[in-house]
Amino acid sequence: MDIADIASKTVELSVKSGANQAEVYAIRVKTASTYIDDDIPKIGGFLTEFGIGLKYIIGKKIGFTSSTLAQETPKDVVERAKSIARVSNDDARFVSLPEPKKVSGSPDKFYDSDTAAADSVVLMEKAMQVVNGAVADNVTVPNGSLRTSAVRYHVCNSLGIDAGSKATVTFGFFTAKSQDGDKVGEGVQRCWSRELESIDFHGLGEYMKSQALSVLKAKAFKDKWEDSVAVLAPSEGSEILYSLVAHAISGENVNKRSSPWADKMGEPVASENLSIVDNGQSKHGLLSSVIDDEGVPTQKTPTIEKGVLKSYLFDSYNAYQLEMQSTGNGIRRIARDLAGRFTVPAVCAGTTMEVLPGTKSVDEIIGEIKRGVYVEHFAWPIVDPMSGTFSNEIRNARIIENGELGEPIKHALWVGNLYESLKGNIMVANDPEVHDKRVVPTIAFPGTEVIGQ
Amino acid sequence: MLDIMTAAIEDIKEKAVTFADIRQESHASTQIVVINGDLRRFGRSTQAGTIARALVGECWGMASTSEQLTIETCKALLTEATKAAKANAQYSRKSLDFSSVKPIKQSLWQKCKVDPESVSTEEKLEFVMALDKSLQTDERIVNRNSAYNDTKKIFHLVNSAGSQLEWDEIRTRAVVQPVAREGNKMQFNYDFRGGRTGYELIQAIDIEPFGAECVKGAIELLSAEKPPSGLMTVIADGHISGLIAHEVCGHASEADEVVKKRSFLTNMVGVKIGSDLVTMVDDGTLKESEGSFPFDSEGTPSSRTVIIENGIYKGYMHTIETASLMGVEPTGNGRAQDYNRRIFARMTNTFFDTGDWTNDEIIADTKEGLYVNRSLSGMEDVVGGGVQCSALKGYIIKNGEITQLVRSMTLAGKVLEILPTVDAVGNDLHFSGGNCGKGEEDFIPVSSGGPHMRMEMVVGGG
Repeated sequence: MDIADIASKTVELSVKSGANQAEVYAIRVKTASTYIDDDIPKIGGFLTEFGIGLKYIIGKKIGFTSSTLAQETPKDVVERAKSIARVSNDDARFVSLPEPKKVSGSPDKFYDSDTAAADSVVLMEKAMQVVNGAVADNVTVPNGSLRTSAVRYHVCNSLGIDAGSKATVTFGFFTAKSQDGDKVGEGVQRCWSRELESIDFHGLGEYMKSQALSVLKAKAFKDKWEDSVAVLAPSEGSEILYSLVAHAISGENVNKRSSPWADKMGEPVASENLSIVDNGQSKHGLLSSVIDDEGVPTQKTPTIEKGVLKSYLFDSYNAYQLEMQSTGNGIRRIARDLAGRFTVPAVCAGTTMEVLPGTKSVDEIIGEIKRGVYVEHFAWPIVDPMSGTFSNEIRNARIIENGELGEPIKHALWVGNLYESLKGNIMVANDPEVHDKRVVPTIAFPGTEVIGQ
Repeated sequence: MLDIMTAAIEDIKEKAVTFADIRQESHASTQIVVINGDLRRFGRSTQAGTIARALVGECWGMASTSEQLTIETCKALLTEATKAAKANAQYSRKSLDFSSVKPIKQSLWQKCKVDPESVSTEEKLEFVMALDKSLQTDERIVNRNSAYNDTKKIFHLVNSAGSQLEWDEIRTRAVVQPVAREGNKMQFNYDFRGGRTGYELIQAIDIEPFGAECVKGAIELLSAEKPPSGLMTVIADGHISGLIAHEVCGHASEADEVVKKRSFLTNMVGVKIGSDLVTMVDDGTLKESEGSFPFDSEGTPSSRTVIIENGIYKGYMHTIETASLMGVEPTGNGRAQDYNRRIFARMTNTFFDTGDWTNDEIIADTKEGLYVNRSLSGMEDVVGGGVQCSALKGYIIKNGEITQLVRSMTLAGKVLEILPTVDAVGNDLHFSGGNCGKGEEDFIPVSSGGPHMRMEMVVGGG
């Protein structure tokens, strides 16, 4: 049976069995993958998964369940959801599932048929281009993975939403190891796109090799620099910025009072150099779609304009309790891995965070910095989104002194408070890149510390 | 089900396939989330799927589906897996010999004192509402988050060596996270109970003090100072020493990283890498620990692996493949997140073993240092031997006494420089459960643990 029919039938069964409202999210994912291990394609994979998530509502009591329907029927699933809803407590904040709205654009607007057709053999050839670009006498590619997913999902609810979408996603992660005697270095590269053919795999391998070789020359940082500027490559800056901003502008966190920006609407929260939009139909976004995972049309929502907080993001649950409308941010999917997403209900989350690029190049920005560090790779960039504090280990960076890039360094901590740094003289470059659910350029964060080991 | 899977395995006609297996998984879980007194999520999720693997040369193919398991489905998965393995095998440089894999036929079902399935959903809901109430003790708590989760996973596995296995894994968890606010300052605290155990774990929680203590921690953090920075003496509590064990030597001791010489611990067996006080173990057989299981995702029984003994590096955690390559027995560390993901070498319950000191003795013996509490997150550096461990809070130690509270920080350093500095190890062992990713994905349940430990590390915090 087609996924739209299954969704529709399950909603119908729910209503017949006594649900006041019901919503079904049905999703089919096909993923091809290849894993590189020690310079060769080690594993080739092909995975298919279908599942549904059912929200069954009696009054203000909500029961949620999910199933792959391999071992049970839609009727069994409905009965389980009903039994949960019956014993549930009222959710006083729940108002309604979303009402249908006109969806503009084709459901396959973000679907690339070549990417969807790629199998593990095609991916193996692409991944080996990375290996061939990276491998040298003293450089190997010990790890890598490349996968493409074709996803089709459909949302039906008892209020009349009956909409679907198709999309494709490509994700790759590779590491290179360099060695010179006792010295070792590592390069790390990720690639993200909706279209497999848009990625320059050989070039990615060559760049990763240069990263790994650069770390060989890196020296452990021994100083302690206060009030320094950190220029973060898009892969690193986008991760830490998203972790902070996505938490602070989430309607869910605003409603439950865990967002430090809960009472800052219309106020400056960052430098006027920073403007951010959440774009549900981002040209390059990996979660781009004409509808969100509740079936609400997606939109472009300016969240920070020239440093001023302009909007929070809302799914229907959080919007309706404030008598507002959903911004199309009821999300189940994650860009990196689409398997198993039917097992969780939609949550309030970003679609694609786009930071508006500036006019200056990275070199021009570096030219304006007296003392700082240009970071290409952290252990993993993290920030506490409630307090804004962070402390991240630098694995691959170069120092900046008097407007020039200096020697490569490693083993240092980058420390500070990101909420405070955002209010300083943030500088945004003109080189946006796609990383996960973000399109972000290189960004210079002021007022931070670099602590040597 | 095992008969169907076995029939499909026995039907493999492709001579190039030297090993194959099929694993079927059924998952069921209950999630209850209460936020600020409101029931935010109440759900029961199920999913099921089957994955087949085929080995050609040194390359694997794998194929999975969520379709109903039939002989036709199994055969189709094996065909797809074989096709992928053969394509990859054009790059194969050697053949793997799995002839020593012993066939096991066994059914092992977990015995819980209180099976979560036998507990009414009303009782579980009452528990989470009570957790929420226990956090409602101070007006500065602006956000209360409480959650309960139980999972039951049932596995069926057959392989071409003749194994026929079926087992289950039941895990239960409870979490609280209060968020405190005063002016512009916002801090959170958390506490957690979890294990491969039944609902008896929940029934053993003394709810009021459990929540009140967590609230107290969040409120105290509002007045915490910025932590000091630089190289210093650190006393790690059991949460932090466990995180260090996991990140410092755990990931780098996963043998898939060793056979390809990516790990900085390659060729280190027999080498002294820590002080005499350092002993580290991975043990998938621990009773009721989050990372325990009867069989790994390849059907190898779980086991205890000594990684470091009295400072001397002893050995690695193996899959069938890495064991074959290194000429040792597999250790039951071949794990996959689920039927959609690959199997590779992973940890189970990883911990530093105990020493002779009491916790008070370690603190009293420290003239200047930082007592670091509560792990937040960590990241390994398998190639370079570095570590990043984030902690929720710490206390400055002066002249053997705990003084000022400081807020979250990161501990860093080079493993081979940190472990030789360990000069005091406590006599109490504490475990924390959680999910571990490798690289940046493939999350599996594990625990990490340790006693209080004193060592030299770099500290920095914002």
